[in-house]
Amino acid sequence: MAMNFWEAQRRARLRTFFMLMLFCVLTVGMALLIEWAVRFFAQEGYTPPMPYLGLIFLGITFLVAGFYYLAYRSSGGSYVAESLGGRQVSQGTKNFKEAQLLNIVQEVAIASGLPMPPVYVIEAKEINAFAAGMRPNNAAITVTRGALELLDRDELQGVIAHEFGHIYNGDMRMNMSLAAMLMGFFIILYLGIRLLEGSFFVGGRGNGKRSGNSVALIALIFLVAGVVTWVAGAILRSLVSRQREYLADASAVQFTRSTQGIAGALRKIAKAEIHDMPKAGMAYAHLYFDNHSFWSSLFATHPPLEKRIAALESAKYTQMS
Amino acid sequence: MWTIIIIALIILFIVMFVVGIYNRLVQLRNQVKNSWSQIDVQLQRRYDLIPNLVETVKGYMTFEKGTLEAVIQARNQAQSARSRVEQQGGPTAEGGSLKELIAAEATLSGSLGKIFALSEAYPQLRATENMQRLQEELSSTENKVAFARQAYNDMVLTYNNAQQKIPAVFFASAFGHHPADLFDVQDQEAKKAVKVKF
Repeated sequence: MAMNFWEAQRRARLRTFFMLMLFCVLTVGMALLIEWAVRFFAQEGYTPPMPYLGLIFLGITFLVAGFYYLAYRSSGGSYVAESLGGRQVSQGTKNFKEAQLLNIVQEVAIASGLPMPPVYVIEAKEINAFAAGMRPNNAAITVTRGALELLDRDELQGVIAHEFGHIYNGDMRMNMSLAAMLMGFFIILYLGIRLLEGSFFVGGRGNGKRSGNSVALIALIFLVAGVVTWVAGAILRSLVSRQREYLADASAVQFTRSTQGIAGALRKIAKAEIHDMPKAGMAYAHLYFDNHSFWSSLFATHPPLEKRIAALESAKYTQMS
Repeated sequence: MWTIIIIALIILFIVMFVVGIYNRLVQLRNQVKNSWSQIDVQLQRRYDLIPNLVETVKGYMTFEKGTLEAVIQARNQAQSARSRVEQQGGPTAEGGSLKELIAAEATLSGSLGKIFALSEAYPQLRATENMQRLQEELSSTENKVAFARQAYNDMVLTYNNAQQKIPAVFFASAFGHHPADLFDVQDQEAKKAVKVKF
């Protein structure tokens, strides 16, 4: 049965929502589990009226996440592009390919009804691109030199439309909030490690063995909780991220009314062997058009290229009319 | 006393309702005008580029004088059709019609396509930077027109629907609203125009 891009977008959004709910359930569930574990293992009957430890866990996670979220938000798309060595393409550029790139970005901006973002070029040979920035009016689009040189006009248009899809669907914002949440889990894990070290130190001095033990116990529970939530969170984030890639592909089809450009670009990337995106950009790898990092597929932020091409070519996103 | 209050309330309610319809129609008409101006800008840009193209091509395609004249003529016709649309007050004005412009645009696209097809036979011309830039600019404006047209037609559909629904249909023309013209391309005609002349 043919499924048009509206339907594809609706499904991808539904799945994302489901995974975000899982994220919330994971966090709150872990807080409850910590509380329960401490009460279960505590020898001297730990039964305070309030679930303090669970609340501490929730408080720390959300405080850290909120802090990182604000930090991410303050830096716009241009900041990310420039920190990766991007150079802004000016209106009066003498380079033919760059002038064409500006034209294409304008075209897709009209097609998507979004404002025209600043455009950056990175001097890298591989075919890649990314959109950064939390809101449509501070977003920026960056394209590699390789993409400019190796893709034809339609393929480049498909890639730009995919990046506009991310801006349109608010994916950078979602990515950043998930990354901030992960940071929260990581801090819990870190706290657990430090507390554990501290408790050994206290225990070693023989300064009240029981208090050292209970601190070690709490530290251990925090450590385990941190590891479990961090790993589960990383997997969930990559699941969400992969859904958003399909969604952006569907949006690209919606904007350009063509699957050929973007499918052709993906096929060229699949054949290419050069990978030279700036290493400094690892923190932003999830934003890239294609992210072929060394991570295992469980943590991959992007679906395999073959699957994306297959989804495009199976007429999954094409209109029924 | 009570009946007066109730009647006053009913009148107030009706007035509010009509004001609501009035405001919605005005808002939609402005949106149609706005998305029309998006197309208009690109059309004008295209008309401005064509003399450059002919100037560039002239030195090489000496045998195709007729084709070049046909393009200039088509461009001038489209240009004047566009000014007429503007004089009428745009596609939302009474009797505002895009039909002439749409037909002129189709002819222009056809003859432009012919120039680019013929230019394939002149490798020296195609190699010049000027020609490459002109071709890029022209195909980009064409894409922009196509994408802006989608948005415009969506807006027109919403605007026309809002006018034709009950109860708005009773007030629409009294408030000075008329169904706006869609900007649809005659794809077949544009293709035929190229094919016939080959």
